[in-house]
Amino acid sequence: MASPGGQGSGALSTRGGVARRMKWALELSLGNTRGRGDRQSNQGDVMYPIGYSDKPVPDTSIQETDKNLVEKRCWDVALGPLKQIPMNLFIMYMSGNTISIFPIMMVCMMAWRPIQALMSMSATFKLLENSNQQWLQGLVYSVGNLLGSALAIYKCQSMGLLPTHSSDWLAFIEPPQRVEIMGGGMVL
Amino acid sequence: MGHCISMKPSAKMAKLVPLLAVFFYLVCVSEAVFEDQVGKFDWRRQYVGKVLFASFDSPSQSSKKLFVATDKNIFASLNSRTGDLFWRHVDKMGPEGAVDTLLVNAQDALMVIGDGRLLRSWDTNVGGLNWEVVLDTGSFQAACFVGIQDTVKHVAVLKKTAISLHYLSNGHQKWVENLPDSDTVKYQAVYSGGGEEVFVLGMVPHSHLTITVYSLEDGEIIRQRSVEAPWLSSVESSCVVVGRGVLMCVDNYTQALYTLAIQAEDSPQFRQVLLQSLDLEVSQDFQPVLVSTQPHPARSPLPEFFLQLGPDHHILLQLSEDGSTIAPLRDFQPAFLVSFATTGEKTVAAVMAPKNTTACAVNLFSADSGRRLLDTTVIFPLDANGGKPQKLYVHAFLKKDDSVGYRVLVQTEDHALTFIQQPGRVVWTREEALADVVTMEMVDLPLTGTQAELEGEFGKKAAIQDGLLPMVMKRLSSQVILLQAWMAHLWKLFYEARKPRSQIKNEVTIETLSRDEFNLQKMMVMVTASGKLFGIDSKSGTILWKHYLENVQPNAAFKLIVQRTTAHFPHPPQCTLLIKDKDTGLATLHVFNPIFGRKSQISLPALPRPILQSLLLPVIDQDYAKCLLLVDDQYKVTAFPSTKNVMQQLQEMASSIFFYLVDSEQGTLSGFRLRKDLSSELIWEVVLPTEVQKIVAVKGKRPSEHVHSQGRVMGDRSVLYKYLNPNLLAVVTESTDTHPERAFVGMFLVDGVTGRIIHEAVQRKARGPIHFVHSENWVVYEYWNTKSRRNEFSVLELFEGTELYNSTVFSSLDRPHLPQVLQQSYIFPSPITTMEATLTEKGITSRHLLVGLPSGAILSLPKMFLDPRRPEVVNEHSREENLIPYAPEMPIRTEWFINYNQTISRLKGIYTAPSGLESTCLVVAYGLDIYQTRVYPSKQFDVLKDDYDYVLISSVLFALFFATMISKRLAEVKLLNRAWR
Repeated sequence: MASPGGQGSGALSTRGGVARRMKWALELSLGNTRGRGDRQSNQGDVMYPIGYSDKPVPDTSIQETDKNLVEKRCWDVALGPLKQIPMNLFIMYMSGNTISIFPIMMVCMMAWRPIQALMSMSATFKLLENSNQQWLQGLVYSVGNLLGSALAIYKCQSMGLLPTHSSDWLAFIEPPQRVEIMGGGMVL
Repeated sequence: MGHCISMKPSAKMAKLVPLLAVFFYLVCVSEAVFEDQVGKFDWRRQYVGKVLFASFDSPSQSSKKLFVATDKNIFASLNSRTGDLFWRHVDKMGPEGAVDTLLVNAQDALMVIGDGRLLRSWDTNVGGLNWEVVLDTGSFQAACFVGIQDTVKHVAVLKKTAISLHYLSNGHQKWVENLPDSDTVKYQAVYSGGGEEVFVLGMVPHSHLTITVYSLEDGEIIRQRSVEAPWLSSVESSCVVVGRGVLMCVDNYTQALYTLAIQAEDSPQFRQVLLQSLDLEVSQDFQPVLVSTQPHPARSPLPEFFLQLGPDHHILLQLSEDGSTIAPLRDFQPAFLVSFATTGEKTVAAVMAPKNTTACAVNLFSADSGRRLLDTTVIFPLDANGGKPQKLYVHAFLKKDDSVGYRVLVQTEDHALTFIQQPGRVVWTREEALADVVTMEMVDLPLTGTQAELEGEFGKKAAIQDGLLPMVMKRLSSQVILLQAWMAHLWKLFYEARKPRSQIKNEVTIETLSRDEFNLQKMMVMVTASGKLFGIDSKSGTILWKHYLENVQPNAAFKLIVQRTTAHFPHPPQCTLLIKDKDTGLATLHVFNPIFGRKSQISLPALPRPILQSLLLPVIDQDYAKCLLLVDDQYKVTAFPSTKNVMQQLQEMASSIFFYLVDSEQGTLSGFRLRKDLSSELIWEVVLPTEVQKIVAVKGKRPSEHVHSQGRVMGDRSVLYKYLNPNLLAVVTESTDTHPERAFVGMFLVDGVTGRIIHEAVQRKARGPIHFVHSENWVVYEYWNTKSRRNEFSVLELFEGTELYNSTVFSSLDRPHLPQVLQQSYIFPSPITTMEATLTEKGITSRHLLVGLPSGAILSLPKMFLDPRRPEVVNEHSREENLIPYAPEMPIRTEWFINYNQTISRLKGIYTAPSGLESTCLVVAYGLDIYQTRVYPSKQFDVLKDDYDYVLISSVLFALFFATMISKRLAEVKLLNRAWR
C-alpha cells in the first residue's frame, strides 16, 4: 500500500495504480527523448547543467540602506497609535455626546484598542528588536497608546459614563438606621 | 424637539409648553388593561349591606327574583338561584336616602325614602324607576296599599301630621288630609281591609287610642272614635290588625291581649283577654310581640296570628269568626323565628326550631289549622363562626301536585343571607357584612409542606443542633419528599389532562393554600363594622374563613395589627384585633391566626382601664411575635406579649420608645417617652386651639415602606437628598369657620419624637374633606378651594439639601437643620373619595397615587405629575431630570383607570401591599363593593409579559436548533464528498 516515494499519505495511497508513478525522475542518458522531446526541439542541443535557471537571481546580500529601512519601519510601528489620535478626535466630534449604540461602540473600540496594544507590548518589542532606538520607540508607542486611552476616558467623561458625581453612588447609600421607635395616633 | 425650545423666545415657548406637556403625557406609562386581561388578575364582589326589607317576586316555583332594601340605602334584586345581583340602585348615603319602607305588589315595588321625603315606584322586572314623587314634609310613620275589589290602585302614606293617598299607576296624589289633633295624638298606623275606608290609628300614650276613618274617594273623615286604653304605650310595637278589622294588642304589664273591632260604627271598647286564661305566660323581661299576615292588600288579614312570648317561644293563635274568642292552635317551644307565607289561597306558617347544636330545622304548618305539613323540613346549618338567625323570609309556592313547596332566606346576626331549598340544600350565602369593611391587612400565605421542609432543614436552629450525619439524612429525606411531591404533581397533571376541561376546577381551599413563586397571592384579612372577620384569597376572592365576634358594639373602633408574619415557620402567623368600645372606652383583644382564622390560645393581658392607643414595636420575643404596647388613659403601658424576654428588652430600650397621642376634641398633640417601669412621661405638647381649627387626621408613614433611593439626581448630576424622617407626622386641620372667605385648611408636619413643627402650610379659602397621603419625603393632599370653587391637589416635598447630615443613623433628637420644603398645587377636575400610594417590595419602582373618584373609578396618577420641582420654564437641567413642565391642570385620562368599568360603589378605602415582584403592587379597594387588582407603576420590568408568545419563541428556537443539526450533518457529508473527489 505504501507508495514508493515513502511520502504517500492515506488519501494518496488509496489511488491504487496511479501511485505507482514516480514523483520525479532524472534522465541522464541522452538518447532518451521521453517527456523532454519538446524542450529539446525548442532549444536545440544545448544542455543546461543541473540547477541552471533562465531567470537572474536577485542579490540578497545585506546592504547599508536596509538598516535605515528597518529603522523607518520600526518608527512606523511606534508612531502608529499617535497617528490615530487626530482620526479619533474627528470621530469623537462627529459621534456627539448622546448615549446610543454607535457612540458606545466607538468609545469601546477607542478604549479597547490602546489597552490591547499595551497588553501585547512584548510582541511589539520583538518587532522593534532590530532597531537601535528600540527603547525610545517603545516609549513613544506606549505614550501614544496611553494618549489614546486618555482620549477614550475623556470621551466617556463627556458622555457622562464615568462615576465622578455623587449621584453615581446614590444607589449604594444605605437607608439610615432609626434610633427612636415611635408610634401612636388619634385617640381611638 | 427639546433642543429647539431653549432657543425660542418666551412667547413662543408659552405655546410650546402645553405641547410639550401633551408629549410627556403620551410618553407616560399607560395603565389600561387589554380586553383579554379583563378579570385575569382582578375581581370584584358586589354587596348590598344589611337587609332591612326583603320580598319575593311571584309565588311560583320558577320565580327567581328577590328584592331587598338595606341599611346602606340600596334597593336591589337578587337572583334566588345563584345569589348574584340582577340590578342594584344605590341611593344617597345617610338619612337622606334611608329606606323607610318597602311594599311590593305584583310588578310594583314602592319605597318611601328619607324619612318620608320621597315616594318611589320601581318596576320589579327590569329595575327601572316608574315614578317618583316628593312628599310633603313631615316624618314618616307608616304606609300601606289600599285596594278595593281585589285590585290595588292606591297607596296611603301616613306622616306625623298628614295622610296622603297616591295612585299606584303614576304617583299622583289623590288627596292629602291633615290629621286632627296631630300635636297631641301620635299617629302610628294606617290600615285598609279592602273596603272604601282607610283607617288611621293614633294614640295618646297611656291614655287613649284614636281611630280616624277616611273615605277612600275624597279623603273626608267619615268618623272619629276615641277608645280608652291606659295601658297602651305604642301602637306600632304592640298592635296588629287580624281577621276582619279587629285590632289586637298585647300588653306586658297587664299580661293580657286586647281586641277591638275598628270598623264598628258605635263607640267601641277594648275587650281584655288575660293571657292566663289561655294558659300562656310571658317570659321574664320580654316584650311580647304579635305577628299577623295580610296575604292580599285588598282583603282583610287572616284571623290567625303569632304571639311571641319569649326569645324562643311562639304560639299560633286564632281569632274566631265573630271576633269574640281567641283559641291557641299550636304552641312552638323552642322556636326562634316564625314567618307567614302565602301562595294562592293557602297560607302557611314557617317555624324555625333548634334541631341540635349545629343545625336548625324549619317546618311548615298550615296557618288555619296549625297542622304540620308533611315533608317540609328544611335544615339550616348553624355556623359556629356565624351569628344566630335573626329573620326568616319564606317564599312559598304551589307544586304541580298542589302541595306547598317553599324556600327560605335566613338572615343572621352577622348580616349574612342564606338561601335554602328543600330538602335543606344551601343554595347560596351572601356575606353582607363585607359591605362595610372597616380595616384590612394582607398577610403572606404560608409555604407548602415541602417548602417548609426545606426551610426547616436549612434553618439556623437545626444546623446548630445536629451533627453531620443527621444533616445528610435530613437532606436525603427532604429530597425524597421533594421527589414525591413532584411525582404527585405530575400524576395530577396527567390525571387532569384526561378529564374534559370544563370539569377541572381550581378551587381554593384552606388546605391547598400556599405561597406562589412571586408571592402574588395573599390572604386578605378584613374586619367589618358588624364585628365579623373574613379571610379572603386575594387571587380569586373566595372567602376562606370567617369569624363572627359577638358583643361588638356597632360603633366600636378597630385596629388590626400583624404581630407575627408567616416568615417564622414553624410559628404560626399571628394577628391581633384591638376592639374598643366607644361607650365604655374599654378594649378587648382578639388574637387569631390570619391564615385559618382560628382564635389563638394565648393568655391575653388584663385591660381594666380604657385604652387610648396602641403601638407595635420592632421588639420581638423568643417566639418572633412583635411586641404590642397598649396605652391606657393614665398613660401607662401594657405590653402584649409580656414575657420576661420582652420585658427585659423593653427595659433596655425604654428611653428610645416614644409615642404620641392626638386628641381632636381638646386639639392637643402630645408626645410621651416610655419609662423603665412602663409608665410614661409627657415630653412635649402642641395645642391647636379648637375654637379656630380642628384636627381632622394624623398620618405617619407606613412602617413597611422601603425607600430605595436616598436622594434625587439633579440635572447637573449632583444629588438632592431626601428628608426621610421616619418619625414625621402629617397633621391636617380644618377651620371651624366654614365661611368661604375665612375657611382654611392646615397641614402641619410634626416630628413625633420631639414635637418640633418641621413645616406648616395653611391653605386659605379652602375647606375639606381632605384626603392625603404621607409617604417617603412627600405629602400629597387634596382640598376644596372655596374661592375658585374647584378641587385642588397640593404636594409638599422635603429635602435635606445637597449634603446628608448623618448618613448612617437617623435620630430626631439630633437634627439641627430644618429641611427644605417645596410645594406646588394643581387643579384636579373631580372630587375624590379616597387616596393611597402604591407600595412595592424594595421601593425601586416609581410611585403612583391611587385616587378613588366618586364615580367608583380608581385613577392611577403617576407621582411625577405631583412634583414640586416641575419647572415653569424648561431648561436643560430640568429636561435632563425628565421633569414635566408645570401645567396647572391635572389630567384625568381614562386609560389610568385601573378598574376599567368595574366601578366600586361608595369607595371608602384603598389598601396597597407589595408583592414578591418589585414591579407589582397589589391593590384592594373596598366600600360597598370589594375590588382587587394588581398595578405595575413602572410596567412589568421584571417579568415576561402576560401575553408573551412562548409557543412562537420556543418553536423558532427548536426550528433553529434542528436546522443547525441538519446543516451540520449536510456540511460534513459535503466535506467528505469533496475530499473524495
